Amino acid sequence: MNIAQLSLIQKLNGLMLLACLVLAGASCAAQKVERVEFWTLSMKPKFTPYFQDVVRRFRVLHPDIEVEWVDFPWDILQLKLITAIASGTPPALVNLNVPWAEEYARDGLIVPVEGMIQNRAMYTKVALDDLTFNNHLYGFPHYSNVNVIAYNTSIFKAAGLTEAPRSMDEELAFARQIYARTGKAGYAPTLGKIDSFFMQQGLPIVKNGRAVFNSPEHVALVKKLADTYQAGGFLKDRLFSEDGFPAVIDAYKGGRLGMMVSAPTALRRIQIDAKEIYAVTKVAAAPLGPTQIADGGWMFLYAVPKGVDPRLYPALASFAQFLTNDANQLAFSKIAGVMPTATQALADPYFMLTPVNGGAVEMAQPIAAASMKYSHSVYVAGLEDYDEMRRVLVKAVEAGMTGKADIKTALDEAAATWNKKLQVPK
Amino acid sequence: MNSRIILTRLGQYLLLSALAVLCVFPFWWTLVTAISTEGNIFAFPPTFWPQAPSLDNFIEVFSAIPMWLFYRNSLIITLSTVFWKLLICSLAAYPLARMKFTGSKLVFGVIIATMVLPSEVNFLTNFITLTRLGLVNTYTGVILPNVVNAVSILLLKQAFEEVPQDLIDAARVDGASEWIIFWKVLLPLITPWLATVGILSAVEAWNEYIWPSIVLSKPESFPLSAGVLYLRGTFGSSTRVVAAGTILTIVPVLIAFLFTQRFFMRGMDGAVK
Amino acid sequence: MKRVQPWLFLLPALLLLALFSLWPVGFGSFLAFTDFSLVRPTHWVGLDNFRYIFANDMFLTGIKNSLLFLLIVPFIQVGAITLAVLVNNQLHGIRFFRAAYYVPVVTTVSVVGIMWGFLFHEQGTLNYLLLKIHAVNSPVGWLSDDAIAIFAIMFVTAWRGLGWYMVMYLAGLQSIPSEMQEAARLDGASRTQVFWKITVPMLYPTIMVCTIMSVLAALKAYQEVDVLTQGGPMNSTFTALYYAYDQGLKHLKLPRGLAASLVVSLFCIAIALLCLRFLKPKHR
Repeated sequence: MNIAQLSLIQKLNGLMLLACLVLAGASCAAQKVERVEFWTLSMKPKFTPYFQDVVRRFRVLHPDIEVEWVDFPWDILQLKLITAIASGTPPALVNLNVPWAEEYARDGLIVPVEGMIQNRAMYTKVALDDLTFNNHLYGFPHYSNVNVIAYNTSIFKAAGLTEAPRSMDEELAFARQIYARTGKAGYAPTLGKIDSFFMQQGLPIVKNGRAVFNSPEHVALVKKLADTYQAGGFLKDRLFSEDGFPAVIDAYKGGRLGMMVSAPTALRRIQIDAKEIYAVTKVAAAPLGPTQIADGGWMFLYAVPKGVDPRLYPALASFAQFLTNDANQLAFSKIAGVMPTATQALADPYFMLTPVNGGAVEMAQPIAAASMKYSHSVYVAGLEDYDEMRRVLVKAVEAGMTGKADIKTALDEAAATWNKKLQVPK
Repeated sequence: MNSRIILTRLGQYLLLSALAVLCVFPFWWTLVTAISTEGNIFAFPPTFWPQAPSLDNFIEVFSAIPMWLFYRNSLIITLSTVFWKLLICSLAAYPLARMKFTGSKLVFGVIIATMVLPSEVNFLTNFITLTRLGLVNTYTGVILPNVVNAVSILLLKQAFEEVPQDLIDAARVDGASEWIIFWKVLLPLITPWLATVGILSAVEAWNEYIWPSIVLSKPESFPLSAGVLYLRGTFGSSTRVVAAGTILTIVPVLIAFLFTQRFFMRGMDGAVK
Repeated sequence: MKRVQPWLFLLPALLLLALFSLWPVGFGSFLAFTDFSLVRPTHWVGLDNFRYIFANDMFLTGIKNSLLFLLIVPFIQVGAITLAVLVNNQLHGIRFFRAAYYVPVVTTVSVVGIMWGFLFHEQGTLNYLLLKIHAVNSPVGWLSDDAIAIFAIMFVTAWRGLGWYMVMYLAGLQSIPSEMQEAARLDGASRTQVFWKITVPMLYPTIMVCTIMSVLAALKAYQEVDVLTQGGPMNSTFTALYYAYDQGLKHLKLPRGLAASLVVSLFCIAIALLCLRFLKPKHR
């Protein structure tokens, strides 16, 4: 072969290659299947059938969208999310809780979704409010919760009490009485989140850019708490921890705690782990503070991480809204014992009736449903290094309550630290 | 005479047992929790004896999560890690222990430096490195960063240093090359140390869950240490089942430890001729 | 060939070290001087992160506590040597005792946290026993009293470490040729003399290595804090590296966590050098 022929063959090869590529590209474009990967938090193995079913039904409706479900334990999810975003391979949707969502939104790790939601009215107003940071909506609401009071009727009887408390003052008084008559702790408020506690009682933490938690009203509230603490009414385990709940539920299961304020889901764990305690447990609505906010809102949602291809947005939005629609939320709430954030789901008769032989779990449903319209995830938003700042506040309250320091002085010092921080220009 | 020996023996066993109780009770409590099917786990003072014992919780673990799969994954990761670690670290320890060459002090210093530096936050950078190398979601990616470990090199270096020089000289006189000396003479001599480093590394690799869970994308490839986390689901997790899962994670390592003791407890004979 | 050979042996190890240990630490140290975040552009900020952490209560407590942790080093080492000597024999069933002492090392750290949480509880087993034998009058807040909690955590760390070092000392004891000890006994030396004059000096290299490792581990302690107290009560149980972990990984303030890590590294280097100076063996 001579040079001319060689180069002709090369040209032909090149053309053929090009043709193949074009054809391949065209065929890809023609049968383009979009892949939506979504991550859930610790849903396996219990809810495997549920999610598989949701995915299957969605695929029937949308054959051109491939949905892949991956579930990670909560110990791991955050780390995996960061590394996925860092390496440019984030999932299309990720299951988060509200504080994580707020922090990620602030750090720019998740993107606003208001452009993707088709029917805002499907969700409750409070749920959407909770996910609105800086005037942007950052997630598709899924399930939430609201607190109820579970109380151990044996301990109550021994303490001479017959009904659940209906206000915070009653909660504290009952706690003291329980300790005085039975030697057991009565109540375990989450003082590690003292900020939410204050806010639910109508006392703000920050006003006009200044820390205001050292006002006379705040001091008075802490004094009330201190009195109950000194009188032995509070469970001391992890009282001031950021996440003291495991200790609280363990104590309740062990029969060492008279009242437990928590979401109805906790009742299921008691049902499994401590049958005798469950048998004597009754449920009542948790007192709303003067703000009429029901505490204990702990909403879970689906957010869109940064770095997801915007061309995938319609597909993932379609799936996200399917996952969180009324029917699916209702189904999930029934098997998980949680509360939906979809308006029609909440109105379902399921939440209105208590079966006659119901135990605590069944009792809790209508109570919780009624409280849901007041349920907010309560926390202070928008503050840099919020967790550290809150620790300063908690430490001050702890010092005041345990008698290590004068309440007003401790709060003043903490406020000074906060103000120093708040004045730092961004 | 006899009674004195019996008394000393008794005393020894008593002391050993007391210490053993101190070390073992958390494991014991977990075992009791896993075996019991009744009773209140969280009562105070804690109960230390099984109530209504049965294997139900263990069976539940196997049906809730793919245990055999996780065991297999853990075995692959652990055995590979130990093998490569022993190989590469002993290779590195040998010249540091017995060869004189320029730069040996520097190299040694660098190795010690990595021991000194906290590495808790390294995973992010290492993950990105793996991405560049295309090793994400592979077992190789999980194993590679753990293969070289300053502590192992240090221990093996010290092990090599204790070998009497005459043995090495004799081999050299016989015309053996460095490689042969390494393989046929030295490695067998430091078996107790190899076994020690081996078992310590095996335990670390078996219990590690953060790094593997980051590197591997699919939970089906997770090792046991990460897999058992699924038992603690958000809802309705039973403490007993979690305890059973924990026992199933710890026991294989203990058994391995019992059986490998033979390797690092040579008789009181000292150096092998 | 002779000149190259050492490097051939060292090559795989050095490559991997450079890639997976030196590079991340170097890069991480660099990031400590920036405002690195995963999604926004990064800028150099000089010593800002360091200024922040040194003005921070929790980090300062952390440094103090990490130094306090050094106190457990002699306890662990002496304890581990004792255990090793106790099990370095052929007593019937001794294998199981060795395994028993190793159990704390093998137990997953979260279980360790749960169990010691129980034991140290104000209404827990330890107080129960102490009250029974009238050693104290009222329950002690092992984990809830801010003056004591850090010591309780140090105890748990020591408890976890004993078995680990015991295994190392066992190996060390195995390498001591028994002829020397037998000869000495034949010459009339008592057990104690044999121990102090022969066993310990020959164990010296192991002791040195273990001590340095123990010192570094003490300075870098953080897992026990994570499972037992998360820094409380009243932020009294923070250790320097727990602060780094908390900031860097839990609150995603990576540059600050890295800055704290860097400070810990510098401490470690300084103390390691000190140890080497004091413990240099005088043999060979």
